[in-house]
Amino acid sequence: MKSAPFEHHEPDTVDEAVSLLESLDDPTILAGGQSLVPMLRFRLANPDVVVDINGIDSLDYLREEDGSLRLGALARHADVEDSALIDETYGSFADVAPLVADPQIRNRGTVVGSVAQADPKGDWGSILLAHEGEVIATGPDGDRAIPADEFFLLPYDTTLGEQELITEIRVPVPGPNEGSAYHKLKRKTGDYAMAGVGARLVFDDDGVIESAGIGMTAVDITNARATDAEEHLEGERPDPDLFAKAGELAAEQSNPESDEHGGADYKERMVDVLTQRALSDAAERAGTVTVQRRVTQ
Amino acid sequence: MTDEREITLTVNGTEHTIEVEPRRLLVHAIREDLDMTGTHIGCDTGNCGACTVLKDGEPIKSCLMFAAQADGAEILTVEGMEDLPEADDLHPLQEGFREEHGLQCGYCTPGMLMAGKALLDEHPDPDEETIRDAISGNLCRCTGYQNIVRSIEYAADELENRTAADGGAVAVDGASESEGPASPEGGHAAPEFGGDADTFCGREDCCGGPDGADPFDRDALLDDAADADGPDNADGTSDADADTDATDRGDTV
Repeated sequence: MKSAPFEHHEPDTVDEAVSLLESLDDPTILAGGQSLVPMLRFRLANPDVVVDINGIDSLDYLREEDGSLRLGALARHADVEDSALIDETYGSFADVAPLVADPQIRNRGTVVGSVAQADPKGDWGSILLAHEGEVIATGPDGDRAIPADEFFLLPYDTTLGEQELITEIRVPVPGPNEGSAYHKLKRKTGDYAMAGVGARLVFDDDGVIESAGIGMTAVDITNARATDAEEHLEGERPDPDLFAKAGELAAEQSNPESDEHGGADYKERMVDVLTQRALSDAAERAGTVTVQRRVTQ
Repeated sequence: MTDEREITLTVNGTEHTIEVEPRRLLVHAIREDLDMTGTHIGCDTGNCGACTVLKDGEPIKSCLMFAAQADGAEILTVEGMEDLPEADDLHPLQEGFREEHGLQCGYCTPGMLMAGKALLDEHPDPDEETIRDAISGNLCRCTGYQNIVRSIEYAADELENRTAADGGAVAVDGASESEGPASPEGGHAAPEFGGDADTFCGREDCCGGPDGADPFDRDALLDDAADADGPDNADGTSDADADTDATDRGDTV
């Protein structure tokens, strides 16, 4: 099926894009297009105007700067997958990238686009939450940083303003005693997550958990933080019982729906399991401890 | 700007200037405007990969991109494979799919070839896992993927042999000799087995072995169908046993 007709604008700069967003009537932003193009074709989305940002070369980056990892709006999933910096330092990002869709889609789809799409089954939102990252929205009045916690509202709905473009997402550069990981359950390659959990652990020099971030995928109306589990972990030393309790708390806080792939009870149990695995990997990557897994791989 | 606009696509080395609406998909431009129907539309949803082409060297799904977005790009489609420098009459990948029975209905094949081409450009000597990852965005509902993997392995070996024969711009990797999957010598129709070269391909898990029944022998199959016990191989196993290791292949791809 073909998309309905639309006007196609291709700005070369962020300024140009923002003034288009300001002047045009209800425009839709096209980045990688791997979700939007099917939506256009099935006419789930029928915009009159599309602002295609693929020509804004200044948004094509993945780098560390001023204490943050920064991904520009045109950083593709494949850029994350192929990055040596990601491999060395950002365990959760390295876990997620190869699990997104398939190679062709990773060559086009963007990380920022996935966050902007705000599909509760998208993986990157959970990573942004677990890392307490920020979304940088650029509008007529300049840039504003939206904390990940305040970004997701409803499925496909965020606090991004109508005249704003997400130009970047950023997460803090990890300290020496920090590790992160992501575990995802999916039926087959190319599928969205049935459930996914991203975890980030920061330890103090004595091996006590100073701070914990846990983001969950596909088990609530948006990507969601497992705050009860996070609180339970902080100030404690990692061990299997602690992680088992954290898994239990994350499962309790999750709110999955039954569907053709599994019942809500099953998905809650999977949140429990995936949380324990992600915590265990995060702790190991932080370099402080190896925590025996209670749940087998 | 819903009006048509002029774009330039360089497809298989030839520049084409066409007029397209913004909503025109790249796959439709290739198939309908340029009349190159080798690039297939399978699922129409971005899942199946039959529409895979290389855009500036990278595999993408041409049903998930508008033609206008490819303005100025270099596109490689299956029609261009046989004209590549590494091709003889056919591209080694195409040879591989023929030699290793990498297709049955052939619908997914153009996409598989393009995914394979992108893989071998980056990893000339891929292991099986890397091959399966590379084709994980391409669905095949006929083959069970085994022979597609072998076809790509065949092409990798063939390309390595040609490079070596051409004076070795790329050194032969010693490890691939011992660990490499299918060298051409170990491939199909190996007469040195002393079996019937027409019915035994040289793989224990494929044709049932040199003494096994020819799986393509229609008369024998008809006989078996009449036999309530099902097909029996000479070694006392049924074909169902030989197939057990194929059952888990679907979820790796």
